[in-house]
Amino acid sequence: MTRPKVFITIAWIAGVLTVWEIAAFLLADAFRDPMAATKLPYPQSVVVTIGNNASSLAQAAAVTLSKAVIGFAIGAAVGYLLAVLMSISRIAEQIAFPYLIVSQMIPVLGLAPIIFNLVRNMDASRIVIAAYITFFPVAANSLSGFKSVEAEKRQLMFSYAASKGATYAKLMVPFSLPYLFAGLKIAAPMSVTASILVDMLGSKSGIGVKLLYSLYGGQTDIFWASVLTSAAMGIASYLAVLLAERLCVPWRAAALADSGGRNE
Amino acid sequence: MPFIEYRAKAKNLINIDHISMIYKNSAKKEVVALKDVSLDIKEGEFVSLLGPSGCGKTTLLRIIADLLDPSAGSVRIAGQSPRENRLRQKYGMVFQSPVLFEWRTVRKNVCLPLEIMNVPREERERRVDSQLDMVGLSAFANSYPFQLSGGMQQRVGIARALAIKPDLLLMDEPFSALDEFTREKLNEDLLDIWHKTHKTVVFVTHNISEAVFLSDRVFVLSPHPGRLSSVIDIDLPRPRTQDTRESPEFFALVSKIRKSFEGVYKLS
Repeated sequence: MTRPKVFITIAWIAGVLTVWEIAAFLLADAFRDPMAATKLPYPQSVVVTIGNNASSLAQAAAVTLSKAVIGFAIGAAVGYLLAVLMSISRIAEQIAFPYLIVSQMIPVLGLAPIIFNLVRNMDASRIVIAAYITFFPVAANSLSGFKSVEAEKRQLMFSYAASKGATYAKLMVPFSLPYLFAGLKIAAPMSVTASILVDMLGSKSGIGVKLLYSLYGGQTDIFWASVLTSAAMGIASYLAVLLAERLCVPWRAAALADSGGRNE
Repeated sequence: MPFIEYRAKAKNLINIDHISMIYKNSAKKEVVALKDVSLDIKEGEFVSLLGPSGCGKTTLLRIIADLLDPSAGSVRIAGQSPRENRLRQKYGMVFQSPVLFEWRTVRKNVCLPLEIMNVPREERERRVDSQLDMVGLSAFANSYPFQLSGGMQQRVGIARALAIKPDLLLMDEPFSALDEFTREKLNEDLLDIWHKTHKTVVFVTHNISEAVFLSDRVFVLSPHPGRLSSVIDIDLPRPRTQDTRESPEFFALVSKIRKSFEGVYKLS
């Protein structure tokens, strides 16, 4: 990170904490709201709770996150393969794309119980739902990447009498990587959310269970600790994709940094 | 230069026989891009296809490159169809934009066609080195395209086209996006390369002095419908230099071609 970026990050975190602190103070000490600890506890008390319950929170997070990651990986692979298929064949695209759109109209909230009823397994449900959430943004973005390849680049490959395989390996895939990552960045936090949602359908473990039980059981401190943990999981998944993008698409970051404008 | 004798002996490499190209535009109206064009291009010759927009010069180049199929007529390249010629990787193409792969360094861009043709690694490296040396970009081998100027990018495009050792170099307005100074420099460099390699070059341009400076012969095309209106022999001595551009013979040829267009535009 460059120096201004570090500064912005610090300023951002400080800003959030300050607003939180002030709001909590107003609730608890200025208005003396008896429900203040439920509505909005002090950030430091949440941090203390996280510290005290670190291992149980981490365990719950790991259950949810590990399945989200597997589902995310499967969904991303399926989505990308679908995009490849649709880019190769217009007929495949015309057949598949309406299904893709329809799939996005079924709310996950409704689909999750159906899937759970079908597979009767919490882990499998988490994986399926996370994959389901992931595949669409990945497929749609990658397909748009394949379609954005300039005609002249494809003609160049054609002029070399390059095979379909070589054309994909050397042109279509590397060209579409930034688009793939745009899809992955959307999908990663969503797959975590989906996995948490499945937790709430009656699982025995997972961060979603902690959220639900602590909310109904009046354990406000655990509830807020779980909320923060969930948020951290979503942010971490996004940052992981961002890091992978830096590693897989280095030319893009370099090109942006070197374009001579003010990008940062 | 024993150049004139070489040309006189040369046999035809490309025969273009009564080519017409008709396509439907977005309004479903038929547009005649090329009408009954016939011409021959000799082995080792540098020819230009010159004309204003809509004269079909790029269409004709794309038919030679097998990027388009003509509506009528036939093209033979060393006795083969454009498709056979393409499948045997017998031509190198340079487009109007450099068409470099942003994720590849200069070296890897030049290497691209050799990878596709499964040239062994050592041979690949050797050829890339010599091509980069020829276009004067050895120092930039490991740079990415975005780090190069437009003129340098187009040099990479030329090096890449020549890396496969083609018999034929097809160039589609390769320097039209460059500034005048860079273009003139690249024109001279291109002639240097051509002298060293003895390729047949088909060069599409709308710039009269560029066509005159580079070519042995200029095929002048006129628009609506695209057709061959005249063939101008350019007998300026080679090697051509900056001095060539200031010679009266050069101006005479440029003005002769320009006048031939005046007729076209009076009609339209």
